[in-house]
Amino acid sequence: MDINFYVWLISTLGVTAFAWAILSGRVNWEVTHLKRFILVFVSGLFQIFFAGFLLLELSGADIGWYITSDNVMFAPGIFVFLASGYLTASYYLGDRQKNNALYDEYTALRYYKTAALGYSINGVGIFVLFSIQDWSNWNFELANNMIYRIAAFAWLIFGMLLVWFSVGDYKESKSG
Amino acid sequence: MGKSHEKLLNNLEGLRKSYGLTQQELSESAEVSRKSINAIENGIYVPSTVLALKIAKTLNCSVEDLFKLP
Repeated sequence: MDINFYVWLISTLGVTAFAWAILSGRVNWEVTHLKRFILVFVSGLFQIFFAGFLLLELSGADIGWYITSDNVMFAPGIFVFLASGYLTASYYLGDRQKNNALYDEYTALRYYKTAALGYSINGVGIFVLFSIQDWSNWNFELANNMIYRIAAFAWLIFGMLLVWFSVGDYKESKSG
Repeated sequence: MGKSHEKLLNNLEGLRKSYGLTQQELSESAEVSRKSINAIENGIYVPSTVLALKIAKTLNCSVEDLFKLP
């Protein structure tokens, strides 16, 4: 079995289980700190994994294996899409009292700080990426590469910050 | 929230303990996360007017009993 099969299997099982959990009605819809931790943490890991892979690929590093199945590439995207949809729905439709604690003002401040850090790091990253380009031999391929690198770098940074942010939810769930 | 909030005198921890509440219990009655209560007690975060009033109501005191300017 090659690695694509395992990545495909894990991704497909994960997305299927997640969709089943929501659609079957067997799971309590209310978001808790633990649920939000799991969703955000896994979404962050997916971002880190795929953005890291793309960055290594664009840098010319040969890490020995390639994702060849389109399904594998779609599965994490679907997970992130479903997770963000679920969190957004819970924000507007969930229990007001519980949401007051889940989305309280200190959490908002943590979020702003995390986002500000992400934008700062991305600003430096984009500056570096622009600086290392070979502008004298500029062509469409280099332009394409640069755009991919910017996107992958931003995804990597925000993936890492998502994971960091989610740890706060984990600590909160333990203390509750 | 200004940068000088470190100078704000904060009596939350003492009042909470004298009232016999844990951070978790206070956070539930004030409808915030426990981290918020912890951050306020440690002077990391200054609460909004609404939250300060909610905490004061739970502890049966005034906002001025909880927070004072030096």
